[in-house]
Amino acid sequence: MKPLARLLAKRLVTSLIVLIGVSMLIFAIARIIPGDPARIALGPNATQEQIANLRAELHLDDNIVVQYGYFIADVARGDLGISLYTNRPVTADIAQYLPATLELVLVAGIMMVGIGLPLGIWSARWRGRAADNLIRLVSLLGVSAPSFVWAVILMLLFAFYLPLFPIAGRISDSYAIAPVSGFLLVDTLIHGDVRAFGNAAWHVVLPAFALALSGIGQAARLTRANMVETYDKPYIEMAQSYGFPARRIANHYAFRPSLIPSLTIIGLDFAAMLGNAFLVEAIFAWPGLSRYGVAVILRKDLNAIVGTVLIISATFLLVNIIVDLLIALLNPRIRYSQRPA
Amino acid sequence: MVAPLKSLAVAALASTMLATTTLGALAGGVLRLDEVAVGEIDPAIASDYADSILMFNIYDTLVLPIQGGPGHAPHLAKSWEGDGTTFTFKLRDDVKFVSGNTMTAEDVVFSLDRMKAVGKGLSYLFANVDKAEAIDPTTVKFTLKTTYAPFVASLVRLPIVDKKVVMENLGEGEGEMKDWGTAYLTAHSAGTGAYKIVSHNPQEETVMEKNPDYFLGIPDPAPDTARLRYGLEAATVRTLIAQGEHDIASQWLPPEVIKALAGGGAQLLTESGTGAFYVKMNTTKPPMDDVNCRLAFSEAFDYGAAIKMIAVTDTVSQGAPSTGAIPVGMFGANPADQVLKRDLDAAKQHLAACKYKPEDFTLEISWIAEVPLEERFALLMQANYAELGVKSEIRKMPWALFAEQVSKPENTPHMSQLFVNAVTGDPDTLLYGMYHSSAAGTWQSPEYLNDAEVDKQLDAGRTATTPEGREEAYSALNARLMEIAPTIYGYDRQAVFAASDRVKVPALSDPSKAFGLDGMGFTFRLMEVAD
Repeated sequence: MKPLARLLAKRLVTSLIVLIGVSMLIFAIARIIPGDPARIALGPNATQEQIANLRAELHLDDNIVVQYGYFIADVARGDLGISLYTNRPVTADIAQYLPATLELVLVAGIMMVGIGLPLGIWSARWRGRAADNLIRLVSLLGVSAPSFVWAVILMLLFAFYLPLFPIAGRISDSYAIAPVSGFLLVDTLIHGDVRAFGNAAWHVVLPAFALALSGIGQAARLTRANMVETYDKPYIEMAQSYGFPARRIANHYAFRPSLIPSLTIIGLDFAAMLGNAFLVEAIFAWPGLSRYGVAVILRKDLNAIVGTVLIISATFLLVNIIVDLLIALLNPRIRYSQRPA
Repeated sequence: MVAPLKSLAVAALASTMLATTTLGALAGGVLRLDEVAVGEIDPAIASDYADSILMFNIYDTLVLPIQGGPGHAPHLAKSWEGDGTTFTFKLRDDVKFVSGNTMTAEDVVFSLDRMKAVGKGLSYLFANVDKAEAIDPTTVKFTLKTTYAPFVASLVRLPIVDKKVVMENLGEGEGEMKDWGTAYLTAHSAGTGAYKIVSHNPQEETVMEKNPDYFLGIPDPAPDTARLRYGLEAATVRTLIAQGEHDIASQWLPPEVIKALAGGGAQLLTESGTGAFYVKMNTTKPPMDDVNCRLAFSEAFDYGAAIKMIAVTDTVSQGAPSTGAIPVGMFGANPADQVLKRDLDAAKQHLAACKYKPEDFTLEISWIAEVPLEERFALLMQANYAELGVKSEIRKMPWALFAEQVSKPENTPHMSQLFVNAVTGDPDTLLYGMYHSSAAGTWQSPEYLNDAEVDKQLDAGRTATTPEGREEAYSALNARLMEIAPTIYGYDRQAVFAASDRVKVPALSDPSKAFGLDGMGFTFRLMEVAD
């Protein structure tokens, strides 16, 4: 087996074990939170009889091990149960809301890499100069304020005082795009509607930027720190003494080895954005899975809590596997360490 | 590298301009409003405010509350007669569902059977109905288990569904009726309503458009399309309204935000007469088991300060001064000018007559964690009772915990703050659940009241078949509840909605057009939206 395939297989097995552990943990935690899910779901006017009927329907009066048995049996059939929050199958909710969050996080991830890494490179290249100081200050600002603060600030600046961007939603009301993939940026192109694509892109800019700002700062700071360290390496000094152009040294010789730690952090940040997107989604009325996840936790919607956490965990694990594979591709030492002894 | 970036920027700007133009051209006739909770469009599950807005627009009921007055008027029904135990309705024969099927008595029977079988939402309102029968296609007869005079009022919560469509779309389930069409009706509408569903995303928005075949016709100025959005943040709503991208905000905005919107030119719409803010005292727990102590706390409560705390502007408030246990406008309510006022001297006299001394107890004042306003009232009460020399502790309780704890009197706090509404607009659905001894121990009844006179008047209110008889029963009940003070009657609740000047909503701005039922003011066909 090739080293990369061996690494992938290892990671997949570990991920499966982690997912089973997460499912057991979240299944138990969801049932420990105070409050009767049936009572919360049926609302304040529900009678004791209605509550008792729903509890029986949800097997809530059974032992937790028996309940987990029912859950696993349903999951094996691809059924995550009915959400008490939306009264729809949890799988249908996830299928509808996950693409919205993934689209937001992917755009934020692209911004994080596309803005954060170049800022880090420039900062390292011009270290000690005004540009470096400015980038470090901006990066620090990005890291030090949570994304929901940026969301409110950006909304006020660029949607309220300067109405350049839309305030809420994924696309203007005047467009009706039939979902194909659930990713509006993709679906609009599938339908060949360039205007709608522009409109959807216009809608994603502010929320994605608010979500990405912290990661941009983090990526820039890390890349700068790693590159500054790399600049002290003898082979860089040699390149400089040979008269290689500064840009080439930065982009080719200093950046690539510095990318590995940055990539690890970017991967973690990217996955964490799935969960952290909640407040940004709430502020920009973005109908995503993070907002749904928090709503179902507050309503103690057991099926939806477990389903949402499992999907977010699976996505987190998937992103980590991709990052591990990228790092292995970039670093032959890691790649070849997967060879059998 | 610079050229492609420049091209991208130009493309983005162009698409922005195109999008803006498209939106501007299509904005006329669209009503945009929001609610906090997700919208439920299945009539057998619907229960809260957002659901009510949907129900009153995509479905119809046999009767409707009379605008600006008490009582009910025929709607899908032409007329009815009843003796308190059996009610026979003659139906209109010109009503069609959005499917094109004609509405008949079979649909009414099916709607009731379905609601009872699903057993969720407001189905408890029909637990007393023994059976419904279709006598002929336009006659339906309801037989109740026991006499229940407000039955006609309950029918405003029985949306009529299209039996044929539901039967064609039964989902997975056991028995002949399988899931009773719940999977289908949580995503589609099958009503006769003035509006029909275009799309429904329970977390994002429900889009509705006019039903051109509506049996009453729909005036042209009514919105062509209505977009009910869910879960918008206060900051988002404020920005949307300020930018002219939203028409009516939900009542759940903080008063400060409503005030800011009003300051920015938004009109304020109101809905009142269906509920009140109550501070409920656990009558089983010392010192609340002594009526004098309860009266002392009622007299010491600063009603005027409470009203100031919920004022939005100088003229509009989220509540009106209370006159007693029953909100003004309902059977048995005291006149609007007999408002309750703080009387510290009377409070001190009652406290002196109480068998418990202030130094012997510490009051536990709870507030529901999801309702931050209640914390302010808890602090107000703490200050008020400190003037009597009474110590108190404030306890924050999440709703779920509160609903569980009140199931036992020993776990129920001395004082619980609650907003309670009459779901049918009738005082029975407000008061019976709160004060009848058989209903003690629910979230509505943490008083654990057990008073024979109160029970008698509540039962009389249910069985009296004339308006005069009901007025008499509820007046006597109101007087008795003031006498034994199981509750501090804080204020009559009034919902306030900030709205753009694009819309006219007579049912929420003109008391003579008000329905006296939560959510019915949002009957879109009676609104006007400027192009």
